[in-house]
Amino acid sequence: MAEKKQRWALEGTRVIDLTWLLAGPGGTRILATLGAEVIRVECRDARAVDFLRYTPPFPRKDPGAPVQDLGMLAGTPANGFNRSGNFNNINPGKFGITLNLNHPKGRDLLRRLVAKAHVLCENFSPERMDQWRVGYDALRRVNPALIYVQTTGMGKAGVYRDYAGYGPTAQALSGLTAMSGLPEPRQPAGWGYSYLDHSPGYYSSMMIIAALMRQRRTGQGCYIDLSQTEIGILLSGAATLKYQLDGQPTGRHGNRMPFAPWAPHGAFPCRGDDEWIAIAVQDDPQWAALAAEIGSWALDDRFAQASGRKANEEEIERRLAGWTAQHDSYDLTARLQARGVPAGPAQKSADRFTRDPQLKARDYFVTLPHSELGEWPLDGFPARMSASPACVGGRANRGAPILGEDNERIYRDILGIGASELRALMEEGAV
Amino acid sequence: MSARISPLTDALDGYVVLETGDERGEFAGLLLAGLGAEVIRVEPPDGAPSRRLGPFAGDVPDPEQSLHFWRYNLNKKGLRLNLGNPEGHRVFARLAARADVILDSGEAGAVERRRALHRSGRDLNPRLIVCTITPFGMSGPWRDLKATDLTQLAMGGIMAVCGYDRGADGKYDTPPIAPAPWHSYHLGSEYAAVSITAALNFRELTGEGQEIDVSIHEAVNTCTEHAMPSYIYAGSVVRRQTARHAASSISPPWLRPSADGVYVNAILAPTEREFRAFVRLLDECDIAHDFNAEAFADASKRGRREAQNAIYAALDRLVASMPAEEVFRRSQALGLAWAPVRRPEENLGDPHFQRRGSFAAIGHPELGRELLYPASVATDGENPHFGYGRRAPHLGEHTDEVLARAGFSADEIATLHAADVV
Repeated sequence: MAEKKQRWALEGTRVIDLTWLLAGPGGTRILATLGAEVIRVECRDARAVDFLRYTPPFPRKDPGAPVQDLGMLAGTPANGFNRSGNFNNINPGKFGITLNLNHPKGRDLLRRLVAKAHVLCENFSPERMDQWRVGYDALRRVNPALIYVQTTGMGKAGVYRDYAGYGPTAQALSGLTAMSGLPEPRQPAGWGYSYLDHSPGYYSSMMIIAALMRQRRTGQGCYIDLSQTEIGILLSGAATLKYQLDGQPTGRHGNRMPFAPWAPHGAFPCRGDDEWIAIAVQDDPQWAALAAEIGSWALDDRFAQASGRKANEEEIERRLAGWTAQHDSYDLTARLQARGVPAGPAQKSADRFTRDPQLKARDYFVTLPHSELGEWPLDGFPARMSASPACVGGRANRGAPILGEDNERIYRDILGIGASELRALMEEGAV
Repeated sequence: MSARISPLTDALDGYVVLETGDERGEFAGLLLAGLGAEVIRVEPPDGAPSRRLGPFAGDVPDPEQSLHFWRYNLNKKGLRLNLGNPEGHRVFARLAARADVILDSGEAGAVERRRALHRSGRDLNPRLIVCTITPFGMSGPWRDLKATDLTQLAMGGIMAVCGYDRGADGKYDTPPIAPAPWHSYHLGSEYAAVSITAALNFRELTGEGQEIDVSIHEAVNTCTEHAMPSYIYAGSVVRRQTARHAASSISPPWLRPSADGVYVNAILAPTEREFRAFVRLLDECDIAHDFNAEAFADASKRGRREAQNAIYAALDRLVASMPAEEVFRRSQALGLAWAPVRRPEENLGDPHFQRRGSFAAIGHPELGRELLYPASVATDGENPHFGYGRRAPHLGEHTDEVLARAGFSADEIATLHAADVV
């Protein structure tokens, strides 16, 4: 039987991708997954290569090899540019070329590529592209319908335009760090990863696709100055509204539910080292089901109704923790779920990868080839689309490109640059 | 220059989204509405479940006073419709015949029961896009597990990497912590909005609609940065640390208190440029230190514990020497990506976010005032790309208008009211 032809949601879309780290490349990953031709444009110079290209984790020689130190200091160009698993996970499905924007011919090549593309994405510091004279105002002369996306910590327009920001900077400023953790006087727990480096990808991709539809309809381009901190503010729920109405500062609530009479509501210890189960009781029948499983103290009338559970939340949490600690988190999840109680283990990476039956059944992890690393499983895409399936390997049908992997094909097919001209450009340092 | 720049607030103009379901999908509808789609929030006779979520205006648990509902339903039109009634199904089918998208959310069982509705819409209108947002997707062994935002953040892996440092004995004395409510629903909805927009693009190219099955569990799983590759490639299970990346080895703290007690996120990245900026700030602020600044400019020479201790002690003293907002200004002036830990409301009056239109002023005639809502994440240089101008609907506020625009006559509408279908 002939293989069914892949149909892409973003058929016919070309994206010039100058992004690095995660805040920019996360978005172009999504575009590649949906079928855009994403051309990752990188500089060969070790000082300008995406830091993630040479930062661990690297594949272990064999599964028995010692676990690596993943400290930031382990990121050095001496590691090579094509061995990072994290980079592979962030950049699958993209084509890769090299181009030097510090070289006049490199900038010329970029202008020629942009003339034949629909979208350009970058996340340099706010003024960098203008300094190279390839900012939005320069490039729209080359391509008036261009969709130009610039992702920065604060946003380019505004009084913090010169401020620097990583994901955690944006989390702190936006309010997301302050909202996470146990109540004062405990300090915030914040986030154990860069949530606001993931989030820009969702917004850049959705805005780019909306802009593509408008571009097709009107011929009009778009400039998108995307701010990681603003995304954090958007994700702060109703906190700012409440403050405007009652003037009370936004607090932290640990794992408790401040917005509904749900109790108990938290993570409770289980058998083993640092194993936990999350339990969220939303109503009296769920509590009755949980209490029947526990017996003894849980059958106390004081706890039968939500108001009583809220009033005695600390006592319930303490007793519940004593009970859960005797059990395995997965066994307990099965028992509680059988009674209709929302519960689930706090899964660590190893649990999700090796144990989670749901991710397995839905083929969440996608194994793709990488030209230097071989085949590796990558994070999948959480939406199944019936007519234009998302496909993490994209048009390239592989993991991340090695540095300059597609130079020959891209420069030839898009710009008509032959092998000898390409060689000369490389010798000059333009490519 | 031929091209005009303008915001994307009209990009989805003319597209109609019928939104059913619960709080899991409301953020997706909100995002589509911000890009110009007409989103009709279809609610059961007693209102959407999210109307029962707080906080509440005046702390009154009233379905019309839910700030949660207000926040996630800006710009939407409110249609009260009894889908438990066969006549309600017929009304829905007529609306679906002229809609572009059905957005549904909830537990898989509830969504499954509405499948017949979705199918009748697709039969009448093959261009229709149907997107469901469910805890685990519409298949698989966990499909029907009971789930809340908390359990999703636990099972999806975000919780395990968030929380506090280990105690002095090397063991955790606090649980993993879900970073404030609703982020699993944010993630599911963000992917839904991306996929719906992509499906609309596909339909423009091909004329075909399709079905989209979003799993919140998978959406959460995509969002733990290097935690998963660290395990897959290096066999390393990262462990949580206070307000910084979960890691396989313990790293220096990032949050430190300032003179006014407000914490500052002060990260020292291992680059020479940032280290020199840090030393310069110490000098400018007359903060004494006893490390060899010249030698430590090379990050590889800072590895020893005594060196780290000296550097971080000076950093603590620096931040403690002035108020958090002053640390912000002075560190950023030297190119350091530091920021105070603000509460969300502390950004309401910040000129940066005012200039960008990050908040939209929305009129609430019943309150006799406007409220500022977090609204946009990007500008075109002048105007925000997400546009909001109308407060969330009261239950059934636009029922008659929506029905009339779909071709229902005044008599039909009156009959539907009389039968309590709408």
